Amino acid sequence: MNKAITAVFLISGLGLGCGKTEPVIKIGFVCPLTGDQAAHGTDMLHGAELAMEEAKSAPVIEGYKLELMALDDQRSPAQAVAMAKKIVSDPSVVAVVGHLNSSCTKPASAIYNKAGLLHINPVSSNPEISRQGFNNFFRICATDDLQGPAGAHFAKERLEARRVFIIDDMTTYGRGLANEFEKAANAMGMEILGHEGIAQGEKDFTPLLTRIKGTSCDLIYYAGMFPEAAVLIKQKSDLQIPARFIGGDGLYEPTLITLATPPAAEGVYLTTLGADLHTVPTAQSFVKAYQERYGRHLGAYSGYAYEGVSLAIEAIRRSGKADRAAVLAAMKNLSSYPGILGNHTFDSKGDTAVRSIGIFTIRGGKFQFLESVE
Amino acid sequence: MTSESIFFQQLINGLTIGAIYALIALGYTMVYGIIQLINFAHGEIFMFGGYAGLTLLLTAGVQGPVSGAAGIFWMLCAIAAGMAGCAFLGGCVERIAYRPLRRSPKLAALITAIGVSMILQNAVMLIYGARDRYVPNPLPAIHWQLGGATLTGMQMVIICTAVVVMIALHRFIRLSLLGQAMLATAQDPLAAGLMGINIHRVIASTFVIGSSLAGMGGVLFGMYYSTINFHDGYMTGLKAFTAAVLGGIGNVPGAMAGGFLLGLLEGFGAGYVSSQWKNVFAFVVLVLLLIFRPHGLLGERVAERA
Repeated sequence: MNKAITAVFLISGLGLGCGKTEPVIKIGFVCPLTGDQAAHGTDMLHGAELAMEEAKSAPVIEGYKLELMALDDQRSPAQAVAMAKKIVSDPSVVAVVGHLNSSCTKPASAIYNKAGLLHINPVSSNPEISRQGFNNFFRICATDDLQGPAGAHFAKERLEARRVFIIDDMTTYGRGLANEFEKAANAMGMEILGHEGIAQGEKDFTPLLTRIKGTSCDLIYYAGMFPEAAVLIKQKSDLQIPARFIGGDGLYEPTLITLATPPAAEGVYLTTLGADLHTVPTAQSFVKAYQERYGRHLGAYSGYAYEGVSLAIEAIRRSGKADRAAVLAAMKNLSSYPGILGNHTFDSKGDTAVRSIGIFTIRGGKFQFLESVE
Repeated sequence: MTSESIFFQQLINGLTIGAIYALIALGYTMVYGIIQLINFAHGEIFMFGGYAGLTLLLTAGVQGPVSGAAGIFWMLCAIAAGMAGCAFLGGCVERIAYRPLRRSPKLAALITAIGVSMILQNAVMLIYGARDRYVPNPLPAIHWQLGGATLTGMQMVIICTAVVVMIALHRFIRLSLLGQAMLATAQDPLAAGLMGINIHRVIASTFVIGSSLAGMGGVLFGMYYSTINFHDGYMTGLKAFTAAVLGGIGNVPGAMAGGFLLGLLEGFGAGYVSSQWKNVFAFVVLVLLLIFRPHGLLGERVAERA
């Protein structure tokens, strides 16, 4: 966190240092840059930086310098609120793109709402967030009321799962997604053998897995993030539990396979918020630019952060004013936005119409895209 | 799986994590026994041990299981690296942070311990990064089937190591000259000093021994779970401290008993009741035990400490 803040200070300091000072407008950007989910956060920051770079070619508003104010929420709701307050207290910030975790986005969204600041959320998929009635909230990803059922459908039709045990990480995202999955699985006639929570940061899941081993479970569904998922997958394999393992988009990160070891991760399934970007025609220029610049896997969320920041820039450009209310109004007037993920139109809650769910598996130590469900 | 084999499996699970708690708890209890300081930085020393072992394995180019005797050799090397690294770190912490405060009120040392804990946590984060790191386990994966339950080679190593270490430590304190000096210092530092015991050296040795055991625990922890993170020391350290209190803080066999008891409580609580309440079971039992036996399971009011 400190690094990011120092970087921001340094950049703004340099700006002041030059003889002629250009007024600055900023886009706030918050995600976990340190902590166990920093892998996701770093991908997101890369995406955001790429979007900023592309906007450099032409000034967004004549006479203003556009900057990204990147902050770290450490995936902690308390830290997210602190960072949100920092953002709204800076008058040069006209839009915010942010938060990875639903448990961070939800409390922070109330602060952005109070400040009348355009809030674009890239990847927090908990459906409750857009039901708070905030008119400044826009979300560019699919939500868990789609992801859960898509996972359940795949589990039943393709994996022929009948008896499921559900585990979540007791966060807003994990619990929400697990409940959506459970609802759908129940409706499809699968038997739910149990639904248990684990704590984030915990390492020993063998007691719970042993209990699962004692049931006739043929599928374990996990709603949570990759660090805990990796340990679960490893211990499931150590305990020689034959049930299959399927998880949500929080698992889509190559570190999962390293931490769980490739043999244990083989044959794990996961759902993601959208198709594999490598297969989406509109995303090809982004995929190429990202790989040229960073030379690594796209990660789960880099494309979403890129899209979110690009969309914020578009709204600022259309407003033509360095003013929060004008930027928000411009965003609301945006009837559609052709992005890399698809053509976004937003409903009254601020959710996009681009809502597909991707399904992946792990084969030979790599993620392999299977299909996408609309 | 039959219900007996599940029970047996939960027993193995509980004993394994309990053995790690016990290894860390030994350090808490030794330090408390001798200078009545709850060394909150001990959890971080444990975590550092995991990283020290990881560093050795990465330097040696060990990526995963190594077959035959080489696997055991690299595991021993990693444990040695973890122990040496932590012994050095523990010694430094004692010399720099605690020795200058020897004559200050106990609270000053306690707050310093919390400060040291934060410094170590952030230092490790800056050196090794904030992400989870993969820890390769050079020991080939072995599975034994025992009455329907699975015992892995690593679990066997962890449980046996903890038991052997505890017995050796107990013997060492009873029979060696340094051990006798520790007991004397624990009873009355002033009198021990007057009898010609260099109490600074004795206290420093206590930190070094306790820290090296935590380092051993850290390496085994990293290899067993195959990941290590800079904040792993916090919760595990807190649990180990609980184990030390359960067993009777200041008492070496007590720390061992407390560690295993805590591991089993967590295992059976999470396995048979609910994993969401895993930490609650452990701490509820701690509260109950402290109400009925304030000095812990094996603790006595004026026992020979250390």
